[in-house]
Order: sequence, then structure tokens, then C-alpha cells
Amino acid sequence: MTIGVNLRVNGVDQVVEIAPHDTLGQVLNGRLDLNGVRISCEEGECGACTVLVDGEPVDSCMMLAVQAGERDILTIEGLGTPDNLHPIQQAFVDEHAFQCGFCTPGFVLSAKALLEATPHPDAAEIAAGLSGHICRCGTYPNIIRAVQLAAQELEQEAGDG
Amino acid sequence: MGEQSGYSVVGKAIPLKDATEKVTGRLEYGGDIRVLDMAHGKILRSPHAHARITRIDTRRAESLDGVLGIVTHSDAPAWQWANCWHNHGGRILDDTVRFVGDEVAAVAAESLEIAEQALGLIDVEYESLEPVFDPIEALAPDAPQVRAEGNARPPTEIVWGDIDEGAAMADVVVESSMSFDSQAYAPIGRNACTAQWQGDRVTVWTSTQTPSEMRDATARGLGIPISNVRLISQPCGSSFGLWWIGSLQLITTLLARKAGRAVRIGLTQEECFGAVKRRHLEQSTGRLGVTRDGSVTFIDLEHVHDNGGYGLKPDVGFLTVDLWGSGPHGRFIDRGVSTNLVTAGCMRGVGDVTLGAFVERLLDMAAAEIDMDPLEFRLKNHIRAGGPLRTMEGEELDHLDQSTLPDGWPELGKLAGEALQDCLVRGAEAFGWAGKWAGWGKPSAVAGPKRRAVGVATGVHSCGTEDEYPVSALVRVHSDGGATLYVSMGRQGQGSETTQAQIAAEALGVSVDRIRVEAGDTDACPPSHGSIASNTSYRTGFATWDAAMDARRQILDTATLQLGSAAPDDLDMRDGVAFSPRDSTVSLPLEQIMATYRPESMTPPVIVGRTTTPMPPSLMHARYFAAHFVEVEVDVDTGEIRLLDYLATQDSGTVLNPKVLENQVIGGAILGAGFALTERLAFEPGTGRVLNPGFLDYKVMRAPDFPLDPGVLFGNYHDPVGPFGAKSAGEAPTTAPIPAISQAVFNAIGVWLDIPMTPERVLVALGKI
Repeated sequence: MTIGVNLRVNGVDQVVEIAPHDTLGQVLNGRLDLNGVRISCEEGECGACTVLVDGEPVDSCMMLAVQAGERDILTIEGLGTPDNLHPIQQAFVDEHAFQCGFCTPGFVLSAKALLEATPHPDAAEIAAGLSGHICRCGTYPNIIRAVQLAAQELEQEAGDG
Repeated sequence: MGEQSGYSVVGKAIPLKDATEKVTGRLEYGGDIRVLDMAHGKILRSPHAHARITRIDTRRAESLDGVLGIVTHSDAPAWQWANCWHNHGGRILDDTVRFVGDEVAAVAAESLEIAEQALGLIDVEYESLEPVFDPIEALAPDAPQVRAEGNARPPTEIVWGDIDEGAAMADVVVESSMSFDSQAYAPIGRNACTAQWQGDRVTVWTSTQTPSEMRDATARGLGIPISNVRLISQPCGSSFGLWWIGSLQLITTLLARKAGRAVRIGLTQEECFGAVKRRHLEQSTGRLGVTRDGSVTFIDLEHVHDNGGYGLKPDVGFLTVDLWGSGPHGRFIDRGVSTNLVTAGCMRGVGDVTLGAFVERLLDMAAAEIDMDPLEFRLKNHIRAGGPLRTMEGEELDHLDQSTLPDGWPELGKLAGEALQDCLVRGAEAFGWAGKWAGWGKPSAVAGPKRRAVGVATGVHSCGTEDEYPVSALVRVHSDGGATLYVSMGRQGQGSETTQAQIAAEALGVSVDRIRVEAGDTDACPPSHGSIASNTSYRTGFATWDAAMDARRQILDTATLQLGSAAPDDLDMRDGVAFSPRDSTVSLPLEQIMATYRPESMTPPVIVGRTTTPMPPSLMHARYFAAHFVEVEVDVDTGEIRLLDYLATQDSGTVLNPKVLENQVIGGAILGAGFALTERLAFEPGTGRVLNPGFLDYKVMRAPDFPLDPGVLFGNYHDPVGPFGAKSAGEAPTTAPIPAISQAVFNAIGVWLDIPMTPERVLVALGKI
């Protein structure tokens, strides 16, 4: 049995035929070919498959796709492009805030939500705010630095705007 | 930093070459590859720890709609695949299963759901065999035998001097034992393999640190020429030695041939944690003697490690012996033993993480007995440049002839050089050791149930050894002045494509942006060792440097022809322009050199640099060092250990890219600290099944668990062999955290603990539970 669900992904509406038990992560990665939705643990522990649903970080392996119907879903593909990186992505590049890079899209999206709620977090707030994510390569100190750098960049951008 | 300041690319913190792909989610890992008309495969795994398959009937499964093919042990060749450094030995599929989760069969189907359903329709009858799980029990002569070769590998023994004499010289002899649970690789991301046959040729996409070895094993296992296998290795998530060659790839390729379709098998998290590889279970016992003035007189150590079902390692490495082996008398014995647990193999810092921690514990116990500061004790006893390498003594040196080596290379069998002294002294100063060290078993601060104290320890690893593959690289220069470096490597996050591009760019004299790196395609890259045993910066980097220098010579020869008068030796190249340092009117951009047809043939120049200088197979004198400093806080009510401050120093020779090195050092420290404090695989009693095959129950460090702004310092040492004086980086920083944290915990609460030092172990040791 399949059902049609309207998923609004990165600003584009599309009706996807899914099974009721399909997770959002399975649909985004497996059906919509959004490779940046990184599937790893499938038990809500590693944070690699994080997407923003109405601006809130969600482990997409733990949400059914039907629950995401008619809501705004942002994946890493909708944040910045290689030619026009989002300031958080650029800060991750500049600070070497990753090694293998598998966890990076999830960290970047959670950092976006974190900085929207707390524009000037200190290091401890960043660490706590991103504690739902695992970087098995152990790049946490540079991730914290990247989020601090991004906070400065976003503040400057807001000031310039 | 001496010569480093003269480099234009080496030593620069340039971003990773694939940084944009990583932050935009566009990088394709092994699991992301899809091909047209692809079938989905799934592996049937053993529910038994040890059993013989007496009957396997696939007819019910085959009759299921959508099933395309099934392979069992009867489809597998008798050939046993053997992974480099004894990480595996066994058939692709066997009629005996040796751990819960061992591969029994594999199904290819139109969908993953059908494949999963088909697994349940394969009828298997097992004859149960007695299992053995404990490494010591497995050594007993009457123990169940896991393998035809028997459980016990021949003991590896290194002896020098006379232990009794060393004991007689000692004022104090300490004796101890220590055991280590098994650390999981616990990869982020999961591997997959996709195999597609076209006639008798196969293309295989997967993630592996050793593309050449994987290609050759596939050819041998499938009985086809090497040239008929194209292995394309994609980047993977964290690996630490997990993804070399594996059953996954060999089974997928076998299954795709049987099914007559392209097949993809993707592993689940549970399979990645519990059915591929893990760190060995290890136990050490030993004695160490010192004089009152803090000189080591002897060391005597016995070690046992389990290999699980398919590992065959006789020893886990003795590099630690060399760090502390400059004393006059010593004996190290290691025994490898098979058990009915998931296979154990080389994980980042293999041997040194465990043996190193134990040797450092003996050093600490001895230093405590004579009341000498652990920093002072290490400064007094560690090996110096020119010191003897016990692991190289004897037969290993016989086949090496110093006279065959290039001029200026260090003497074999002796430590080439070290900056450990520098790391310890500068690290202690930056950390403020003198002000924080309160004495053995004495916390530096007590507040309610919380005790604070500091610790210091060292780590070492070799970066000069190869197994059976020499290192090799090609540098092809393009008509527009760019170049591609073809070098077989893994891409598991260690930044090698970036640092190798920096080496090639520096040698060629072009911008690093003009260097593209192809690391995974075996049809393009020459066979090479791959990224294991800390080889990449040092050995692979040497091959890359040599190939780039060859390309540079060809470029300058060609430029000489075009310029008429200048001889190649008169020319230099920088920023992609060949020029004469003596005559400013003589210069020629690389793209012009490459675009100018040769007058005699009217063909464009073809410039392909290749590795021509052989690198001897065993350069064990190449070691790199770590010294780590830590401050901990132990809560004696909860047993929790928190890390308050951390400083990691590292000698990796010339720094190729400081941010890449910093990430390797701190990443290594976090992996080691995770093992020190929380990481342990739990095996079910009676079955050996892994009880915590996932991040939910296997606890790794997260951002708040490690000091948020740890210090990093690099030693100043220029290696005489490594590319631009560089050595490798990734494993030594994993080895120092355990002894450093363990020492600090002793100072805080007065007990020595097994690894990991869980809250439960703390409370048991304190007599509280």
C-alpha cells in the first residue's frame, strides 16, 4: 500500500508515493536522491541524517515521512551551493571542521538552528547544542570554532543588511 | 621551523580538496553509488558461535518471486583470502561458522524487502560445535579449536640482555597486570559494495583503504585476470582500519556473477559494529626494574590478544618496546589466539594503544615507588636518536643492505631521529605541568566528592613499514598546465588527497589548485600500498614526491628544447612557470610548454612522471611520537571521570598541513580517550554475540565530553627520508591518551584500573560497590 504525501523539500513541493512506514530519511535519501541526508545509525543517535523541519533539527531516521507532509523541510542541498556556500558551510571549510565529512551536513544544519535560537553562543553552549551529533573522527574543537566564526559572519551579514 | 619556511605549498593550512563537496553533502561515499538495473543483496548470518553447516537448501528462497541468485559456501572457491598483516584468513564463504554474525549465504533480489524475506526461506542445518570465547581458555590444549590451524599462533618473542641480571641491578621491581576490553571501530557511515559484471570483467564500487589489495584479492577469488577487475574506491566515513578488503566485497562480486545482474549490498549499523572487525581483547602482565636514580634496568612483559574468528595475527606490534627498550635487559612475548568472537584486526594504534598503556603503567608504578615525577622519568628513559630498535634486530635486518639506500639516509636498525624530548619539554611548559603536578597518588584539588589531578604519557608508531605492496604514483601533466596525481589510497577523512596534492605541487612547482588527485580507481592508479599502518604521508608521500620530481625533470627537459640554449639544470619552476634563476629573460609558462608541439614529430609533449626511486620495504626506523598532558576530575560518589584540560604534542616531522595534522592529533586523542573511559563492546555470555552493535548502547565521545579547546603543539624535526621531511600522523596520538588519563586517575583516587575506566570500575576499585 502506498500513499501520496506532499513534501516541501528545499522550497519545492512534490507529491511522493510512499509506504506508511517509510521514514523521512529513507524517502529523502532513497527516493529523492538527496545524498546529503546521510544515513548511518537509523536509531536517532548519530545525528548524521539531520534535516530541519519547520526550522527545527530532526533525526530524519526517527520521523515518518507522512509526519513531514505539508511542512518545510530543509536539507543540506537547500542551504548553499558549491559556488555560493552558506556562511556556516564556509566557516566549516575555513576551520577544517570535518575530516571524513560524513557527519558534516547534520552538524551544519543543527548549527543553523542553534544560531537562530542563540546568535552568540559560547563554546559550551555550542558543544551542548550539537551533542546530538557524533563526529567519530573527533573534530569537535574545530566544529566549535567554525560555529563561533559563523556566528560572527552572520552577525556581520545581518549588520550589513 | 627551519627549512619549512621556504616552502610555498607544504606547511600551509589549505582547506581539504573535497571540502566543498563535504559541506554541501555532494561527496559520494561507497554507499551512495547506484547503477542502472541494480539488484539488492543481503547476507544471511550465523546465529551460532561455532557450528558446521551440514545442509543448506536454497530452493524455497529461489522460488520466491524477485529472487535473482543465492550464493553459499558451495559457490565459493576453496581459496582463502588473506588480509594484509594477518587481519583475516578464510574462505569467502565457509561450511563452518566461527562467530554469531559470520556469513552463511547471500541473496540478490529485485528489492531489499524481497532479499530480506528470502533469507528466512533458506533452510540451514547446523551441527553445533563447542565455542570458546575467553582468550586464556582458548590457549588451553584441550580447548575447542576455532580453526584448522589451531587456536594459538606461534608466540612472538623479543629478548635482549638477561632478565635476571636486570633484576639484580634493580633497586625496585614492580609487577602488574592489565586487561583491555575490545574497542569497536564504531564507524559513522556504513560501507556498501556494488559489483557489475560485463562479460568476464567486473567493476566494483566500494570504500576501502587498500584499493590495490582489494582489486587483486577480487581477481584471485573470482579466478579472473587482475586486468579484468576495476575497483573504484570511494571515500568512506571514519574507518580506522575497518575497511580494507573484506567479505562484503568478495561476496557481492560473487553474488553479482551468479545473479547475472549488478548487485549492491549495503551493511547495516549492526553489521558494521558486530560482524566485520574490532580491536583485540588484550591482557598484559609484566615486571619492570629501576634503580633509585630512575634508570630502567629491565622490562619483562607477556601479552595475549584474541584474534576472533578469522584474524591470524601472531603479534600486535612491539613499537612500544623500542620507545622504552633502550634499557639493557628485556623480554617481550605476545601470543595471538583464536576465539569464537567477531574477527579482531588492526585498529588505529594497534598494539601501541594497549601494550603502550601497559608499559607506561609499569613505568608509572616504578616512578611512584622511587617518587620521581613522571615527566622527569620519561625524559630520562625514552629512546634517543641512534638508539637500538629491538623490533628490527635479528632477521628483519638481514635482507636490507644499507649500501643500496640513497645517500644521506639514516642507518637501518637505529632510530632515525626523534623530537620526543622537545614534545615533552615544550608540552610541559605550555600545559603548566610543574604547577599542577602534586605528587604520586595526590590530587591537586579536592572539592566534595571531586578529585582533580594531572597525567602525562607518550605514544609512538612506525610509519615506514609495508606489507607486500611497494608504493608507487603517477603524475600526468595536462596541456593546460594542470596535473593529475594518480596514487592508490584510502579516503577515510585523514586528508591525504590534500596533503599528497601539496607534496606534488611543491615538487612540481605549480599551484596546489592545479593538482587533481585520483586515489581510488585501480584502472588509473598504479598498484600501491594503500592507507594503512600510518604509511600515507611518509611512504606514499615519498612515491608522490618522486613521481612529481620525475614529471618536473621531463617538463624542464621539454622547456630546454623549446628555449634553445638553457640546460635543464639551469631551470627552475615555480607557480607553473619554468625560469632561469640567473637570467630573468628566460621563462616559459607550463601551459605553453605543454601546448608546443615537438618539431620532430609534430606531437604535443606527453609528460607522465612515475615513481622511480625504490623505497625499501622495511624502514622501521621511521617513528613518530606523541606526548599528551591531561587534567582529570574524578567523582568518587558516581565514579565519573571528566577531562578538564588536554594538551597534545606531536612529532610528525615537517608539518605538511597544520590543520590536517591538528585534526589527526586531536581526533586520535579523542578516539583514545573514548577507549580509556567508555568504549567497550559487550559480548553475550555463552554466545559471544555483540550486545551493543550501535551508537545507542556503544558510547563514544561527543562534543561536551572532551575539553572544548585542547592545546596542540608540533615538534620541530626534519626527517631525512620523508617527503620534505614529513612523517605520518594518525596512530601515535591514539596511543598516549590511555596512559595519560590512567596516570591522572591514579593521582586523583589512588587506584590503577583496567580499560575502559568506566564509572562501575572506578566504584568497584574504591570498594563502593
